[in-house]
Amino acid sequence: MTEGLKLTVEEGKCVQASAYVPADNFTEYHVREDVDVMFKISIAVLAECLNIFGSAEESSLKMYYRCEGSPLLLVLQPQSVHNVMTDCEISTQTPDSLLDLRDSDADEVAKLVLKAPAFLALLADLERSCDVLELNLSPEHPNVSIVTYGMQDRSCIDMPKSSDMVSSFSCEQALTLRYQLHHIRLFMKALALSSKVVLRFSSNGVLLLQLKLEKEDQRQMFSEFYIVPLLDD
Amino acid sequence: MKCYVPGPNVKVLGRTIHALARFGDELYLESLVDCVRLRTLNTAESAYAMVKFNKNFFSYFNYNYNSNNDNDGPKCKISMKSALNTFKSPAHMDKQVENLEIKLELDQCKLIFQFKCKHGIIKTHYVSILDSKVTQAVYTKDLVPNRITSSQRILSEAISNFQSSDDQVTLEALSHSILLRNYIDDNIDLSKIIRTQINIKSEEFDSYTVDEETAVTFTMKEFKALLTFAEALGLPIQIQFETTGKPIVFIIHNGTTLEAHFVLATTKPDVTTQASTTQKSSRVERNKRKDSSNLTESASKKPHLEEDISKCLDEDSHLFNFVDIPNEEIPTNNCDNSVNVENNNLVDIKDCDNIPASPTSKTMIKSLFKKCFESTFDPRSTQDVVLAGNSDSE
Repeated sequence: MTEGLKLTVEEGKCVQASAYVPADNFTEYHVREDVDVMFKISIAVLAECLNIFGSAEESSLKMYYRCEGSPLLLVLQPQSVHNVMTDCEISTQTPDSLLDLRDSDADEVAKLVLKAPAFLALLADLERSCDVLELNLSPEHPNVSIVTYGMQDRSCIDMPKSSDMVSSFSCEQALTLRYQLHHIRLFMKALALSSKVVLRFSSNGVLLLQLKLEKEDQRQMFSEFYIVPLLDD
Repeated sequence: MKCYVPGPNVKVLGRTIHALARFGDELYLESLVDCVRLRTLNTAESAYAMVKFNKNFFSYFNYNYNSNNDNDGPKCKISMKSALNTFKSPAHMDKQVENLEIKLELDQCKLIFQFKCKHGIIKTHYVSILDSKVTQAVYTKDLVPNRITSSQRILSEAISNFQSSDDQVTLEALSHSILLRNYIDDNIDLSKIIRTQINIKSEEFDSYTVDEETAVTFTMKEFKALLTFAEALGLPIQIQFETTGKPIVFIIHNGTTLEAHFVLATTKPDVTTQASTTQKSSRVERNKRKDSSNLTESASKKPHLEEDISKCLDEDSHLFNFVDIPNEEIPTNNCDNSVNVENNNLVDIKDCDNIPASPTSKTMIKSLFKKCFESTFDPRSTQDVVLAGNSDSE
């Protein structure tokens, strides 16, 4: 896209995660405007190529993609070592249809803006042994409560909208949603890098989580997670 | 039962739960008129722990607020796993938690922990009650002949010298010193193990009464757990014991708010291992003296860190790890004068000038490839076998 680079992954048609890097994060960014530039590559291979000098090493990167069917070319140069360069070529595939979890018929029923580090601390404290997370949202106190069920025990975290980790809260009607805790854990890594998180709940229960990553130089990157709820049987 | 625990004490309670979790799988809670008792017992029933929190540990305490006519006070049993889940990271708890409310709802079969945290967040854990009975161990502590009070630091330092594989420790109480050593099973090949023995003189302890010389063996895991607990709270440990076969009791208390009893079963130390220990230490050939950095510290009242580590290689080419914490006040301005008389006829080190050389590499290698120097060694037996191929073919 002309606006920036977007990477999307899916798991089991239940979770879709994307990372969006706006064009102004790159020193140079050229994309043909008349066609959709979209292709599929293995994320494991891409991650391996990007970390080829070790994850601690800061490298500069050039990426090239010619046209459909041609490989993605990566040129990496570590900043600390001169005259060392890697040239990676990742073959690309035609993309499968991406899951469209953004349902235009379903309205947004609740929106929650939280501070990411505090939210991460809450999630990290959840019991590891249970697998379902229940989320109760209501316009009345306590506005948000997170319930997990263990072997015999029940744990409950209440978060009123007055809490200073809640930047904004809007919810018209009480609702209860259940998600796989395993899906929730997937975004914890991204949460650790973020400063702010927006949770949007649509009327069909799909949770859209938007994370804002802020770098020192004020440039921003975003990631999005769509998580499908568990339905009552 | 209903009580409020103020923020700093939540950490203490968390530490307690973690210490108790090293003992048993179930946690018994009993509420009395003026205190709350937490107990646990391990499955083998060889270790028992009880921690009593007095009324003033809590900012609000009502032992029987739902006023059933039960005079004993409410009690319950919960699984240790649930308790651990409730107190996940005691180290950070005091920073996050402002106060904790504990409620025992016997009608609902729930023990409720409600944490009021920073950011106005409330975490509530509803823990199921497994049973409403408690156990009580019978042990004597005040009338026993041997009573030692020690700062936890001395014992932790002594224990840190042991191998992580050592699962039992023998405490031998003599009239003027105690010996701590790892317990060695009869069936283990003696050439494959490291023996550790630590001698601590009676002067190192805050109080020392040994009326009946004895040796008791108990498990290391629980001992370490209670040391960690004492360390976290910075409290001294009282050790009270009788003789082999009778339980040893460790008491940790701060006088006002809490008192913890850890009771461990003891077993008889193995007679043969014990004999060989003394025998071997008298046959010491070499020793290496390591001066501790603490020599520069003034000869203060506090326990000396000065350690003589004599690493000895005895005739069986068998490592014997011996650490002695001496009682002599060492004149620190002049290292040359320091005289250490060690116990067990080990070695007399007259002064520091005479630091014996470390074992030469020849001896080390000799003991490493000892088999090659044996008269029965047949070089032909290894000729055809390439044990380690050339690493580089060129």
